[in-house]
Amino acid sequence: MGAGLDGTGVVNTLYVLDVPENIAVPKVAAEDPAVTVGRLGPYFVISSDQPIVIDRRAVGARHAVWYSCVAGVAPGAAITKHDKDALRVEPA
Amino acid sequence: MSELDHRVRGVDHVAFPTFDPAATVHFYRDVLGFPVVHSICAAGWGPEQHPDFIHFFFDIGNDDRIAFFYYFGTDPSVGGPRGAKGDVYGRFAADVPEYFVRSRHLAIHVDGEEDLLEYRRRLDASDWPVEMQIQHETIESIYTHDPNGYFFEITRALRPVTPQEDLDAGLTIDALLDVVSGPDPTFGKLLARKAELIVERAAGWEPASTGPAS
Repeated sequence: MGAGLDGTGVVNTLYVLDVPENIAVPKVAAEDPAVTVGRLGPYFVISSDQPIVIDRRAVGARHAVWYSCVAGVAPGAAITKHDKDALRVEPA
Repeated sequence: MSELDHRVRGVDHVAFPTFDPAATVHFYRDVLGFPVVHSICAAGWGPEQHPDFIHFFFDIGNDDRIAFFYYFGTDPSVGGPRGAKGDVYGRFAADVPEYFVRSRHLAIHVDGEEDLLEYRRRLDASDWPVEMQIQHETIESIYTHDPNGYFFEITRALRPVTPQEDLDAGLTIDALLDVVSGPDPTFGKLLARKAELIVERAAGWEPASTGPAS
């Protein structure tokens, strides 16, 4: 993890467990054309060479679900915002 | 993962002191309808000055029990000065954050929404009405404080736990142990370590048994 597809950019990757409460998270993330959503076992893998921004209202998750939906963030990136408006993952 | 066989069978009893047995019995037996299932009347004993006491038990379902000690001749001062927050056992200063005060609590399980709302009705009709009803990640809970100040929760599962949540829990704990063994543990470090463990282990994961589809 870390190098972009072209070998120059940084790939931001977060993992979201596939459980019913989380389904809208990768769905909303995928609306950004720069984002790809893949699978690794039971996890959604949400990646982009751009900052990943997921809108809270579009996801529609209740408080507890929203603040616990991230299973992992690949080294090199970090969560820089996770509040009532949005989740943002970008280079650390 | 532990290879040890898992032989335990839930809670036998969890025990708390009370200085107000009348209100405690009223709350658990008369308001909630938890049967009194056992009691011990004991004279003081032992090398230290031990008060005479009554140890009494309420059934909380599944043959599990919540128990109380009432010590004759004592009052809450036996546990030290009254706290600005907390209960008759745990006393805290006014500046102790609420999340910490509430962190230690008992949650009793019910099978579904109908049962949760039935206990909500019973509490709301009493002197200890429900203070909060909250849908968490995968459970819904009602909360109040019992007559002793103990934070009391009744909860129901919103859905069955899925097999992948067991995998995820295991990865979380392994990541946590790695992070707390190093300097300055943070949530960010945990998520980074967990991402590495997901890459290592998630691809080859298969549910141990057929569970509900995700």
